Amino acid sequence: MNTRQYYLDLFQVTENQLQTLTATALRHGGDFSDLYFEHTTFFNLLLKDGVVSSGGFHTDFGVGIRVLKGEKTGYAYSENTAMSDMLKAAQAASAIAIGTVGEMQYASVTDRKHDFYPMKTNWRDMGADAFLPFLKELEKEVMSRDSRIIKVVARMSDSVSDILMFNSLGELTYETRPMGSVTVSAVFEKDGRTENKTASRSFRIGAELITSALAKELADDVVRGIDDRFEARRPKGGQISVVMGAGASGILLHEAMGHAFEADFNRKGQSIFSDKMGCQVCPKGVNVVDDGTVAFNRGSGNYDDEGVPAEKTYMVTDGVLTSYLHDRISANRYGVPSTGNGRRENFRYNPIPRMRATYMESGNADPQDILANVKKGVYVDEFSNGQVKIGEGDFTFFVKSGYLIENGRLTMPVKDINIIGNGPQALADILAVGNDLKIDNGTWTCGKEQSVPVSCGMPTVLISNLTVGGEQ
Amino acid sequence: MITENEINIARYCIETAKALGASASRVSLSKSVMDGCTILNGGLDKVTHSADRSVFIYLFVDGRYGTFSTNRLEKKEIEDFIAKAVTMTRMLGEDECRCLPDPERTEKGARTGRELDLYGEGYGNASADDRLQKALGMSIYRTAAPSDRYRIISEECEYSESVDDNFLIDSQGFEGRHTETMFYCFTEITIETPEGSKFSGFWWDASQKEAGLKKEGCAEKALEKAVSQIGPRKRRSGRYRMVVDNSVASRLIAPIVSALNASSIQQKVSFLEGTEGKKIFSEGMTLMDMPRTPGKNGSRLFDTEGVATKDTAIIENGIVKQYFINTYMSKKMGLVPTVEDMSRPCLMPYVKGEDLPSQEKDLSLKDILRRCSSGIYVTGFNGGNCNPATGDFSLGLEGFAFSKGRITHPVREMLITGNMVELWNSLTIVGTDVRPSARWQVPTVAFDNVSFSA
Repeated sequence: MNTRQYYLDLFQVTENQLQTLTATALRHGGDFSDLYFEHTTFFNLLLKDGVVSSGGFHTDFGVGIRVLKGEKTGYAYSENTAMSDMLKAAQAASAIAIGTVGEMQYASVTDRKHDFYPMKTNWRDMGADAFLPFLKELEKEVMSRDSRIIKVVARMSDSVSDILMFNSLGELTYETRPMGSVTVSAVFEKDGRTENKTASRSFRIGAELITSALAKELADDVVRGIDDRFEARRPKGGQISVVMGAGASGILLHEAMGHAFEADFNRKGQSIFSDKMGCQVCPKGVNVVDDGTVAFNRGSGNYDDEGVPAEKTYMVTDGVLTSYLHDRISANRYGVPSTGNGRRENFRYNPIPRMRATYMESGNADPQDILANVKKGVYVDEFSNGQVKIGEGDFTFFVKSGYLIENGRLTMPVKDINIIGNGPQALADILAVGNDLKIDNGTWTCGKEQSVPVSCGMPTVLISNLTVGGEQ
Repeated sequence: MITENEINIARYCIETAKALGASASRVSLSKSVMDGCTILNGGLDKVTHSADRSVFIYLFVDGRYGTFSTNRLEKKEIEDFIAKAVTMTRMLGEDECRCLPDPERTEKGARTGRELDLYGEGYGNASADDRLQKALGMSIYRTAAPSDRYRIISEECEYSESVDDNFLIDSQGFEGRHTETMFYCFTEITIETPEGSKFSGFWWDASQKEAGLKKEGCAEKALEKAVSQIGPRKRRSGRYRMVVDNSVASRLIAPIVSALNASSIQQKVSFLEGTEGKKIFSEGMTLMDMPRTPGKNGSRLFDTEGVATKDTAIIENGIVKQYFINTYMSKKMGLVPTVEDMSRPCLMPYVKGEDLPSQEKDLSLKDILRRCSSGIYVTGFNGGNCNPATGDFSLGLEGFAFSKGRITHPVREMLITGNMVELWNSLTIVGTDVRPSARWQVPTVAFDNVSFSA
């Protein structure tokens, strides 16, 4: 683990200068200020048409300076850490406090010593030549599994971010965040028709991620279910029961419910859940969690981007709405501790409440029993392109693959349909929760104003009544 | 704005790459500045200032290709960076199709960056307080007339000014610059009815020139959109005429533009493979790329390779006229290169069964609703997807039912399914009411016999 001095040297600042900057940022009377230093290196390789013929690396470096006055935000950043440039940014951010009122007391947070993603092998110590054989092996593994494959595209990327945070409470936090991702897509051709499938893995982990076992796992994933994909049709549309498969279905939880639990939408009164704290929003026994502490998870952080230690936050406990997802601003507004959800894309953005790893905890039902009790419905195991209207709670999700359920059995494969519904209504309509929670470790990225890595998970869940769009 | 010193840094990158063994290189230097101000419920909420500067370096080394970027532009940093980049590029696989474009095809007239009149001369004169006053001036939170039907529970107004400056240079002697300013306003309003139902609406405008920005009425329009959604009803599934508002109709063009890209075709994930020169869509569908119109959002003289753009038909009377083929894909597929991507799509007016010089006709939303008589008027798409290999789509939507040419009530939890080729073959009307501020010049459009689920 790197030392405090490593980060101070990297960003060429002293602790005295950090204090000068936060004092400058508060010169017009702000309540709180913080500094976010970032040095990120990105690396990527692309295999296409049998050759790793594209790749590169990228470097990003800078500092963001924020001033809070009540719930108001002043934000500026500098792409270099020369003291004169940082002072200019601090002065720009300080303007938020001019002529405003409404002081708040920002609470200090305790330090934390966990490291949820230690790197055994630092990506920065590796050259491109270390990963070229892996991409070739991945392509070979995929091609060997199905003679109908006509194209394979394989990507790997990594990033390592050195982060140093300091605030006007005197808290100095620092850490190094790794991320490694591998994605493989295959195009299959059968009788003149083509279908494509993609599989991915992404973790906060070092270069030890890249193994032959990973290549085999991804290859298995990318060909799984392709026969059904060719056979899949659009079902007749209408309102029917929907069984969410364990794992990637969690994206529905993220989009349709999780965003509405983010405290910025609630403190502004925009969320459909803004007056539901303490209310029963799901059947008893349902727990919905946003967790920053899952080891090596893409959404985890030792600290959030406001220097608050990560935690596991229960948004819904036994069916009752028990917590929003807070950054420092909303935590002050609601008089609760921050839940460590203040996140940002990079130093160019101010932090806002964002999810991390969002999932529903396992229930008691056997997944086979859940299916067996559905007379007519749709089973969905792969979603994409979800969208939700925060105020109304209405959501729409595209189903990449699934099956009809008829008399308790999976029958016709379905694809290219949408499922639409209303978040609170869907939560209330949960009939059964399986005992098979699975976290999906794909390359999920949430795009609320800024892009941040997240993950999601779900046990098998039965919802009684959703609209499925299909043929008429 | 990019300084002479920074231009020299870009040139230095080219020289350094050559000295370190690159056979060819391209460098893109970008700089942008944005100042913004956000108002929440009539009071100041956020002020932001951002200033970005980065250099992208594209290296061709020993028949290999790599892309690299950094925002650290000190000379010593650049030297170390390019040395590492050349080393890494040499590790990649050979690809003889990677090369710079034919110099004859590159733009020769983009010298100042302002040739297309996309720079607002007054940019940079406003103070932080000026921007605050402009944002405050948009707010109606405290002045909107009270209503028995709803109360405003949240209003966010944003005003920003920005400039983007790009300098592109390659080792064959091409140099091009593109500079544009943007003045932008946005309002989102959430309302609540006495029954506790919430509805939100937003509106925005953007212009390269401050005088062209329509801030006035932005919040009123957002409120109008929110209020119009009160009392939604579920509609029975079935096949209806569909009218798609000009603010969202580009969503139905985007999959077609994507499918016309040579990269999609080469990778076998395009439903328009093998269609060049063939009539695929309705004869009423004519899609132009119009990148060289001065003063218009999306106009540009050169693409990301430096290749000169030109005004051209992409689809004409339903016939696919051109793919988007960059230099790499041209070599790889043995096709004549065009440009990398669409710049400024323009869908031309049309009414089925009428012999138009339709540009002379005024086809507003009101006219189109009247001509269609009844159906669903779509004002927003909510989620969904289009399968790039087949063109099959399923899209969630929001909008209104209309009858006898008049809107009757909002609809909710509806979606459409179909195939892009079939949909555009059921095209009946393309209006003339494009939003001047939009890059995608797609007016209100109407289709027959679309499958709706609810």
